[in-house]
Amino acid sequence: MSSITSSKKHPLFWVLLLIITVVTLFPIYWISVTSLKSPVEVISSRPTMLPQAPTLENYVSVVKSGFFRNMFNSLLVAVSATLLSLTLSTLASYALVRHNFPYRGNSLFLVWVLVVKILPPVVLAIPLYSVFIKMGLLNSRLGLIFVYQVYTLPYCIWMIFGFLKALPETFEEAAMIDGAGRFYILTRIVLPLARTGIIATSIFSVIAAWDEFLFALLFIRTPSLQTLPLVIVNYIGEYETLWGELMGIGLLTTLPVLFFSSYVYKYYTQGFSVSLK
Amino acid sequence: MTQNKYQKSCFFYLILLPAVLVMLWLTIYPVLNVFTLSFFKYNYLSDEKVFVGLGNYIKLLKENLFMEAFRNTLVFSVLATAGEVILGIALALLFYGHFRGKKSFMIIAIFPMMVSSMVICAVWKTLYHYDIGLINFLLRETGAQPVGWLIDQSKALFSVVIIDVWQWTPFAFIMMQAAMGSIPEEIFEAAQIDGASYMKTVFSITMPILSDQIMLLIMLRTIDTFKLFGKVYALTQGGPGNSTETLSYYIYREGFSYFNLGKASTASIFVLLVVAGISFIYIGKILKKD
Repeated sequence: MSSITSSKKHPLFWVLLLIITVVTLFPIYWISVTSLKSPVEVISSRPTMLPQAPTLENYVSVVKSGFFRNMFNSLLVAVSATLLSLTLSTLASYALVRHNFPYRGNSLFLVWVLVVKILPPVVLAIPLYSVFIKMGLLNSRLGLIFVYQVYTLPYCIWMIFGFLKALPETFEEAAMIDGAGRFYILTRIVLPLARTGIIATSIFSVIAAWDEFLFALLFIRTPSLQTLPLVIVNYIGEYETLWGELMGIGLLTTLPVLFFSSYVYKYYTQGFSVSLK
Repeated sequence: MTQNKYQKSCFFYLILLPAVLVMLWLTIYPVLNVFTLSFFKYNYLSDEKVFVGLGNYIKLLKENLFMEAFRNTLVFSVLATAGEVILGIALALLFYGHFRGKKSFMIIAIFPMMVSSMVICAVWKTLYHYDIGLINFLLRETGAQPVGWLIDQSKALFSVVIIDVWQWTPFAFIMMQAAMGSIPEEIFEAAQIDGASYMKTVFSITMPILSDQIMLLIMLRTIDTFKLFGKVYALTQGGPGNSTETLSYYIYREGFSYFNLGKASTASIFVLLVVAGISFIYIGKILKKD
């Protein structure tokens, strides 16, 4: 520890590294092993570190109970909500970057976007509930896609605004002199230049929508329309000790997202932006 | 030329419009609606709607449950944020510089923030279980008393804090380590040549340089922990007693279990004001940066 920069590490360093790795990974390990235990082994008063008779029966019943239907709902809602947000936010951000709206409209709009990002979503829940009933959007995946704009739209606007702001204007000016139209410039010149930023934004937005719970809870009634967080909560509440199946769902829900870990790490480390959430 | 200029700004209004409309529909209208409702005594089931002025506000400030929810939310937010930020900084300091396997270690280290929140609740609920949970099993084996992690009034909120710290310390860690990576190493080398101790280097060089990023991290975590809802819903439903009742959960229950829309709206406006207060600094900082 004598040197802050040297790459030679004290043995204690490796011990700490090991402890932190174990603390980090243990719950994930526990999800995996519990999902392979039989229902009897799960509720034993002496928990076993490894399944004594590994079985896939939990996964079989999870799949039979319609897991993939719910996963499809989650995927459909998360991806559609993100696509909608990306479209709206790219258009809006481009306008905000290249045009000065009167009455300090640019700053006002951006501050409002930030306020919504900060606001606990439950604050909007009551009026949104009655609006969505009237529009027939309750208990429907389309309704969920719309209401998720509360999360994904402010996030996408804030991120994409940042990326577009960093782009030089020279390419657009050159294209304009060549007589290209505004829409052509936006889709053929600006979007390709901002590609990396847009991909990053969409990944984070999909993860956020994939994880959303409050509006899914309030807006969806029919089991076949539920998203995965709802399915998991129902398991926690109703089947107090069906932990094997619960952890099976947990692992299947987690794996697709863990896939993005190295991307997320790279993104943060390259320091594109720190206001990620 | 004027025609062209008019067309040009017309284009920008047109492409901003869809986002503005969605924001009006999903955020401005609801906030105005909540604000209006907060002055009414309004139960959705009995459908009676009476204007009571500031009545709801006065009633809420005198209500024990609401104040408890407020206090719990603050306690949770402060403890979780402090835990995550302190641990995050400590880890970033510890794992500063290069060592073998650093990249793999970092990717593993951010797993907790990648796992779905409800999955995290599920696994911690099994670990915390009083009779057959692993943690109490280990405590019994070592001769200690088992702990009622989620069923003891004095501990439930802290058990939820532990989960949040487990989940979000990686976020603090990765943010701080990215920030530290941008400090030129020569600064530390110069400090060492001058004979500064490790602790002195940390507190008089590293921390001051990182102060902006640390502030941002504290803001982000405060904002996020203040919203606490899902974990309470999944793990404790506000109990035992009212020991894990939070503001978000309070609004949810008043609005969607008791259908007291007026009261729930008033609580929402309270939360909005508190959050506006907290984020005033944050927004000011961000706008200054731009």
